[in-house]
Amino acid sequence: MRWPRALGLAFVALLIAAPFGLPAFAMTLLTELVILGLFAMSLDLMVGYTRLISFGHVAAYGLGAYASGYMLLNTSLPLPFVVILATLLTGVIAIGVGWVCTLATGVSFAMLTLAFAQLLYAIAFKWTSVTGGSDGLAGIPRRAGPMGLTLLTTKTGFYYFALACLIGSFLLCRKLVASPFGAVLRGIRENEAKTVSLGFNTRLYKIAVVAIAYALGGLAGALYAPFAGFANTELLFWLLSGQVLIMVIVGGSGTLIGPILGAAFFLLLEHQLSSVTEAWALFFGLIFIGFVLFAPEGIWGLATGWVKRREKPLAKVRLRD
Amino acid sequence: MTDAGAALIGIAGLTRRYGALVAVDNVSMDVGAGEIRAVIGPNGAGKTTLFHLITGVVKPTAGHVRFAGEDITGLPAHAICQRGLSRTFQLTALFPQMSARENATLAAQARNPRRWLPFGGGNVFTQARRAGGAALELLGLAGVADRPAGLLSHGDQRLLEVAMAVAQEPTVLLLDEPTQGLSVEETAQVVETLSRFLEQSHVTALLVEHDMEVVFRLAHKITVLHRGAVIADGTPEAVKADARVQEAYLGGIE
Repeated sequence: MRWPRALGLAFVALLIAAPFGLPAFAMTLLTELVILGLFAMSLDLMVGYTRLISFGHVAAYGLGAYASGYMLLNTSLPLPFVVILATLLTGVIAIGVGWVCTLATGVSFAMLTLAFAQLLYAIAFKWTSVTGGSDGLAGIPRRAGPMGLTLLTTKTGFYYFALACLIGSFLLCRKLVASPFGAVLRGIRENEAKTVSLGFNTRLYKIAVVAIAYALGGLAGALYAPFAGFANTELLFWLLSGQVLIMVIVGGSGTLIGPILGAAFFLLLEHQLSSVTEAWALFFGLIFIGFVLFAPEGIWGLATGWVKRREKPLAKVRLRD
Repeated sequence: MTDAGAALIGIAGLTRRYGALVAVDNVSMDVGAGEIRAVIGPNGAGKTTLFHLITGVVKPTAGHVRFAGEDITGLPAHAICQRGLSRTFQLTALFPQMSARENATLAAQARNPRRWLPFGGGNVFTQARRAGGAALELLGLAGVADRPAGLLSHGDQRLLEVAMAVAQEPTVLLLDEPTQGLSVEETAQVVETLSRFLEQSHVTALLVEHDMEVVFRLAHKITVLHRGAVIADGTPEAVKADARVQEAYLGGIE
């Protein structure tokens, strides 16, 4: 696996160098891409590593976004603290969500996650004093600090902040999936009943992974609010839950890096196609079907598979030298 | 009935009803330490349900299971396993995409108090790999250790399940029809390996089995179930000679 590593590092180098070569509008797109990539990667912990399919991952994104937006508007806490607090808050609430959702398995689990997201959607509409109702929260500032640090208030500074969050989360997730905890998650993915009979209390592991995935999804949302300057109910709408699931699958589930590529693919395609046709979602749908049918291992799976085949060609029978 | 204090596993009045059906009907039996006990009976006699009741997969309607003097009735399956009762399933249950070694390693990891560590875990893995590797060796699977479990021969899959239970260094090994679905040759091979292992390890084992030859080859004592209830209990010779057993079960064969 040396190739993927080199590829990954080259990728990171490009992302770090990007502000020096790209025009402002492209940087805006790239920042959104980094945030969305983090959001998709967080879902991969559940979908790819534990086979816990969620139809309600927007709950994490919206919670993080509203929490960070509210704190930036109503307190004087500096941006990094707000983002950390919003992440923790989402994770703590997710323990409750995970506790309830893991009472069920399979499709019922997915439906319960959807129900929670819809519940938050309704709350965001009704609890006007905190969420701003249908208007949402607007004019969310990127506040300076701590200690008068103004770096993060600039577009480039904020981009680096988001990128650091993505890379940090990626390294954290990689440690997690390679740990004993991660081995148990894979056991749950392949045969949960057997994992229980081996003596693992799988429900606790599932609640834990839901909490971690939601916390990181919350981190993505907490970055989105000050990036866009607003948080509204669209960030809790079920459509986004479906889209992020598609990003994970198209990018390659169970790989962490794949979903980030999936998010990039989705965003760029949306950007390009939406300027050509109104029905861009139709084309994306067709591409999604194509991936599910012909390349279920996703973009990253295709890429690494191709590299591996080139490194190690299959042995053939040779009849004449 | 033997003295309950001396038994490692004491089952008393264990009953499981599904509506009008009584799958397990007031079963009582004691298994001593080091004993290899087979539970036999015709199809639908309640053997597997009895296993599910002991291991916590199914909750009993009535009755008790004691293990090493402690009441374990109704505990969740993972908690019962943690006390030292490791089982296999009638229908092979493995992690098909992981290698045989990874299967055994994960099984052994379950016994480590730090099995949940969310980072690092080098020591956890090293210990688990050692125990898993030793278990594979004991059951003659060292040669196929790095193959995906789903691609092993059926006989090796059954042995891998036993190896996973063994990797947990259990006090009691519960084997649910270890030769289920195997050809005659494979059965002979699996029984050979199992009997060698059981003789060497002196572990207490509870065995559900259909194949009478396998039972008489492996078990010290036999409990016969018929329609959920115990109809005989004793040494293989005594059970073979029992008139009621012959009528209910062996009649057609012997």
